[in-house]
Amino acid sequence: MPRTVLTPPAGGAPMPDIPNWAWHEYGNRVGLWRMLDVLDHFQIRAVLAINGSAITRYEPIARAAHDRGWEFIGHGFTQQSMQKVADERDDIRRTASAIAAFTGRPPRGWLCPGLTETWETPDLLVEEGFDYVCDWVLDDRPVWLKTRTGPIVNLPYTQECNDVAMMLIQHHKASEYYDRAIDQFDQLYADSAQSARIMALVVHPYIMGAPHRLRYFRDALARIREHSNVLFWTGEEILDWFLTQ
Amino acid sequence: MIPRERCDYSAIIDRPSLKLPNGARLVVWTIVNLEFWSISRAMARQVLPAPTGEVLVPDVPNWSWHEYGMRVGVWRFFDLFARLGIRPTLSINARVCREYRRVARAAREAGWEFMGHAWEQMPIHKVDDQAEMIARSLDTLARFARTRPVGWLGPGLTETYETPDLLAAAGVKYIGDWVYDDEPTEIRTTYGPLITLPYSVELNDIPMMLVQHHESAYFTQRCIDSFERLYREGAERAKIMAIAIHPYISGQPHRIKYLEAVYEHFSRYEGVLHWNGVEILDWYLSARAEP
Repeated sequence: MPRTVLTPPAGGAPMPDIPNWAWHEYGNRVGLWRMLDVLDHFQIRAVLAINGSAITRYEPIARAAHDRGWEFIGHGFTQQSMQKVADERDDIRRTASAIAAFTGRPPRGWLCPGLTETWETPDLLVEEGFDYVCDWVLDDRPVWLKTRTGPIVNLPYTQECNDVAMMLIQHHKASEYYDRAIDQFDQLYADSAQSARIMALVVHPYIMGAPHRLRYFRDALARIREHSNVLFWTGEEILDWFLTQ
Repeated sequence: MIPRERCDYSAIIDRPSLKLPNGARLVVWTIVNLEFWSISRAMARQVLPAPTGEVLVPDVPNWSWHEYGMRVGVWRFFDLFARLGIRPTLSINARVCREYRRVARAAREAGWEFMGHAWEQMPIHKVDDQAEMIARSLDTLARFARTRPVGWLGPGLTETYETPDLLAAAGVKYIGDWVYDDEPTEIRTTYGPLITLPYSVELNDIPMMLVQHHESAYFTQRCIDSFERLYREGAERAKIMAIAIHPYISGQPHRIKYLEAVYEHFSRYEGVLHWNGVEILDWYLSARAEP
């Protein structure tokens, strides 16, 4: 499994891995729906970074996101390192087709599973018609990347305000999601006095959608929402604004 | 069968609401795990890896740490649950009935529900003859507890592709390995349907304390955070919240108070039921049949 919450007694990585598969599946069956309640409450349209193969497999989720006008971005066809994918271009293409078939238009943005790019990923993305990528978490602002043909914009995704890093790797308490989001926000808000900043918040339904974590996500959004001069944008909204600058 | 073939995906919001008796909101399912760790193999868990990370056999420090649970820690659980009037589900390696008879007897006398948990603590993938081990485990528990267990939890929740089929064939009615929902579900096996009950890897002292390395006090906070959310959701549809504990972890002197505080919190609320696995199973089978 890509991530685990419970290793077997005395270690190892058996197949099938029922507890870790089921722990993740909880997010799609249960966790996502309580996260929707929070995002609907704040009238926030999120970006849905979705594995291409997940669209038909979890059709109610794709439908709920599409009905709400969320932006779909490509996120690999299945959840594995792009460096282990046999044909990366084909993977990108199949994901784009799956999204286009469901939403009526191809995705403009891409995030690699686990942000695992190959040497060629940005080149392929431009060639396959993508307008932005999210894997280069190296700035608080959009950044142009050169490719072998034309350039592509990278939008500032985050490994900091990200529940995988915080909860699964660093093993923080659930409240850390809130504490860190507010610390991040306060600093970026101060930094942005002269020049706009972008702050990403990243959640996974099997993590922040667990009953004991949701409130910290909700509270972070509530606190940030108190500021009137903060915009809650999707990736393409950020991109289209950036292109006018 | 692969897991997806056993159960179709379903979003919880698309299912009819199940109702608990008398308008109750939430079932708390407490599971105490008792294990046998063979000194001749690597320990199932470690609190202190050896200097330079060598594998030790015998692993005296980690074996002793687990043994504390049987000698000392578990009695704190018996005291607590007797005071609360709660009879947890006992997830017990069958070998415990022989090697820690005194502990198993205390659980039987306290009326705890015996649930199958394999023969000893190792991944089920490493068992040579799984069907034979399942039969031996359930027979041993049936003789000791004087009633045949209907529930099963794999060691470390491990299963092979065949495990649900073998368990159904052996007469098991519910399993706890599929921690993928807040409600019971039904899965397919080659011997008929099997019910899954929502055990937990979140409110569970192994991931929390041994993997995630949280401070002892966080156990209370996480259980309360979970309870508050599920209790609220319980107004609309029945919710089940499992708490999974091990005597060598939560039975430690520096942790037991945080476990006690969890139940103290629950006691302030109306509509909270403390049920064991059999009670949840029986309720589910009748509740889902209601129009």
